[in-house]
Amino acid sequence: MTLTKWKVGIVSCSGEEIPEGTISRVATRLVLEKLRPDETVTICLPLFLAGGEGERAFAKVFPTITVDGCEKRCAEKGTKKYSGKPFATIVVRDNLRKSPNISLKSRDKLSAEELDFAEKVAEEIAKKVDEALSQEIKQLGSGES
Amino acid sequence: MTERKKVIVVACAGMDKPVGSVTSASVFRVVEELRPQSVELVCLPQLLAGVSSQNDLVKNFPIITVDGCAERCATKLVVKSGGKIRGRIMVADSAKKHNLMPESASHIGSSGEKLAEKIANEIASMIDVLTQEA
Repeated sequence: MTLTKWKVGIVSCSGEEIPEGTISRVATRLVLEKLRPDETVTICLPLFLAGGEGERAFAKVFPTITVDGCEKRCAEKGTKKYSGKPFATIVVRDNLRKSPNISLKSRDKLSAEELDFAEKVAEEIAKKVDEALSQEIKQLGSGES
Repeated sequence: MTERKKVIVVACAGMDKPVGSVTSASVFRVVEELRPQSVELVCLPQLLAGVSSQNDLVKNFPIITVDGCAERCATKLVVKSGGKIRGRIMVADSAKKHNLMPESASHIGSSGEKLAEKIANEIASMIDVLTQEA
């Protein structure tokens, strides 16, 4: 018997243009390496969009969470186009609006305040991971898939 | 920025490998410290999503691509978008050449930082050549 361990794929925008893109990448890495290392994998967005069959096949089978820097939502749109609707979507700029005192400045080196903000985004992603896995387990229990 | 002296840099920014993180670190150094007046970054997912501002940049200015791994996503996608590539960097090759291996995707470490610095300087030199040609 083979037991399949469910994983959640996190698709982060690479947002090179804006500081919010850096927050999306840092938050995603925090989830992958600290908050939910055993439950998550990342999907390389450029490879996914360029036609990476492995990335696209994974995202068709496993739940995904997209993390976009801005309202252009490239990660979300790409995931929908090539693999299906993500389980959850997060847009860093929306989170930023809820924290008007934070000002993002650099795309390179994050300040302590920016890192703290990235950690909050990471915690939100981790909650969505838990919800996605909980839903998968419920579906398995009810015989759906 | 004088329009005709602008150079576009497109980095893969791949999330799943340490070399992808080095691409980001090196291009941010160029755009924020070394040549802020003569370079503009194009966001790869936006380019693929057909965002017109990114497409216009790629079609109208010389481009340097920075790829992390052998998949060469940045190069492939710029070619697909009709851009004119004038310089290319492959971080995995540079890492071997300089014997500087980044530690992890989230923390490239001192070797990764040194590698990013070398690549950033290489990109800056390419930009200087391309802007003098313009």
